[in-house]
Amino acid sequence: MTIATIKDVEFGEELPVFDPDTSLENVKKFATAAHWFGPRFTDHEAARKEGLPGALVPGIMSQGFLAAMIHRWAPQANVQNVDTVFRAPVVVDEKYHITGVVTDIDEASGRVEIDLTVTNDAGETRVFGTAQVQIPTG
Amino acid sequence: MTELLDVEALRAKFLNTVFDEKQFELTAEDMSNYAIACGELATRYTDPNDPDFQAPPTMPTCIQPKKRMPKGFPKIAGLGMDAGKAVQSYKPIRPGVKLTGKTHMHDIYTKTGRSGRMVFFVNRMDIFDSDGEQVAWADTSIVIRERPKE
Repeated sequence: MTIATIKDVEFGEELPVFDPDTSLENVKKFATAAHWFGPRFTDHEAARKEGLPGALVPGIMSQGFLAAMIHRWAPQANVQNVDTVFRAPVVVDEKYHITGVVTDIDEASGRVEIDLTVTNDAGETRVFGTAQVQIPTG
Repeated sequence: MTELLDVEALRAKFLNTVFDEKQFELTAEDMSNYAIACGELATRYTDPNDPDFQAPPTMPTCIQPKKRMPKGFPKIAGLGMDAGKAVQSYKPIRPGVKLTGKTHMHDIYTKTGRSGRMVFFVNRMDIFDSDGEQVAWADTSIVIRERPKE
């Protein structure tokens, strides 16, 4: 179910899980749009030479995944603030899952707080964050 | 081995002074491709023909200042890692609008764990439109792990 107004939102509600596209092809498209051209984001071998486990999904892309997930749940939501902590690398071409839970609701203003987490297939947290979101009041 | 940084002295000297200013604009193509790559479905972010077309809300974090640190900031041993990003949106950012980003060091703080002290440096870019109205800010946190001098 998608969210139209604040009345549709429940405290503790879990957002539908979002599995983002972390393919090398997609990360290259993102890096071009963001003007972030480092080979650590677009070339596995170059990244490994830097001591990394492989090419990295830029942190700003992980942050973008979080906002996209919110808009998939609530298409008219206005994402006002996203605070993101990069705990461990997100590696290109590996699978990740983004979960979110509503932790605060102000029905009068339409303001909602959502905790968001990016985990890998092993269930390890790679990125987490909090978003402040404005939902239409009616 | 590095000397422990005098964080209070760094805070007193470097916080809250703009050390970089740059002008830029975002193109419709970049805004749309950024949104699509992130998995956005809302057409106000993906379709330049949507009457409410605007930059995806986290896009300000991709704008980098010309200078990474204030002039005179000490060189710090160790590998700096990107610890996080935060973004606050005040107004939609439309394509082709001339924007100004003013960056200051917003915070310096420490956390201590079993492996030693970590120092976090937070740079904030305040972004204004051509009318001087603030449209967003974007924070970049860099962390450096210190080791005490032997």
